[in-house]
Amino acid sequence: MSAALVARSAFNRNVASALARRSLRPMALQARGAADHAYVPGGPIYRGSVNDPTPFPTPSKTHGSYHWAFERLLSAGLVPLTVAAFATSGTAYPILDGLLGVSLVMHSHIGFDSIVVDYLHPRKFPRIGPLATWTLRATTVAVLVGVYQFNTNDVGLTELIVKAWHA
Amino acid sequence: MQSLVAARTNVFRQSARGFASSAARAQAVPVQKPTLNKEFKIYRWNPDEPSKKPTLQTYSIDLNQCGPMILDALIKIKNEIDPTLTFRRSCREGICGSCAMNINGQNTLACLCRIDRTPTKDTKIYPLPHMYIVKDLVPDLTQFYKQYKSIEPYLQNDNAPTDHEHLQSPEDRRKLDGMYECILCACCSTSCPSYWWNQDEYLGPATLMAAYRWMADSRDTYTDHRKEKMQNEMSLYRCHTIFNCARTCPKGLNPAAAIAKMKLELAAE
Repeated sequence: MSAALVARSAFNRNVASALARRSLRPMALQARGAADHAYVPGGPIYRGSVNDPTPFPTPSKTHGSYHWAFERLLSAGLVPLTVAAFATSGTAYPILDGLLGVSLVMHSHIGFDSIVVDYLHPRKFPRIGPLATWTLRATTVAVLVGVYQFNTNDVGLTELIVKAWHA
Repeated sequence: MQSLVAARTNVFRQSARGFASSAARAQAVPVQKPTLNKEFKIYRWNPDEPSKKPTLQTYSIDLNQCGPMILDALIKIKNEIDPTLTFRRSCREGICGSCAMNINGQNTLACLCRIDRTPTKDTKIYPLPHMYIVKDLVPDLTQFYKQYKSIEPYLQNDNAPTDHEHLQSPEDRRKLDGMYECILCACCSTSCPSYWWNQDEYLGPATLMAAYRWMADSRDTYTDHRKEKMQNEMSLYRCHTIFNCARTCPKGLNPAAAIAKMKLELAAE
């Protein structure tokens, strides 16, 4: 064992024990807030000792199974919805057209949100992460407003695609 | 006495030659296999010299003087060429999971991976991808084991029978097939892009399959407790069904299927 390695592992241990001490007070068994643990790039920082299990975030079905089920049902629902919207006329069924517009925007919002959580999570990117999340939310709202305006004041989403297709 | 021994030796020498010293035997040349040199490019990094960047070191060995598997080649290199080469190995038959590494771009066990005998093509060996390296081909699996521990990988039942065996129907037992065989070599987890980006929060396919192995066990009564742990954004739902885990598993298991079943059960409850 060289001095460097010893120093490195000692550093890790110090950080780990510091983290453990810090996280002892608010960590009620499994619950853990983001503030207890800082993500440090460039080194494995273990929460607790090497023998402690990794903690789980506070359980929330909204972020867990409900979100997943909603996302999957929405994706599956988009297939018949798209077919129905194109089989009928957009101007004759504005509700269907509007529903397709909203579903598509929600579908893409969930998809982009997944990208942000994967690659720009706030724990790793404390500035860019929230910025990306809120940019995405703002964009989604803006697109929803745009779709509403377009569907009420203009030909509507389905008609537009049909026209562009035949143009 | 001495003369008697000498006389007997003489007699022995003059008698018919034994097979081992027959004329045909004396002319035979031991079968010499032609040398079949192949280059192995192996990832090297030494923690004693942290300022030096990791490099690929090339070793050339004669495949005809070596066993058939990558692990045989590594052991031969360590024995005969470079004793500083560091790697984990134990059982050499694919049941301990120690020698998991990235061979020609595929995470697998060195002991189950045959050497490609094309002499013109080199074989590249790296440690498991996106892990902190202890030395050369040895990755730091602490986080992996801490995650495995977090899913409580043992039977939990408050009313387990004390007077007889804890029985299970053959059908219930069959639900565990394809999961209990996992040897925790970490090939699947370290092949998963989601695990690369978020391994401090996402559990990874190996741990998730182990978690589902206990959810699916008919004898375990803590299923709700186990499921509740997965109800968050990161632990389970960072799986995007990429299927690298099923593709790379050296034991031929399918962690992605177990994760899919777990997601379905969570959504259906």
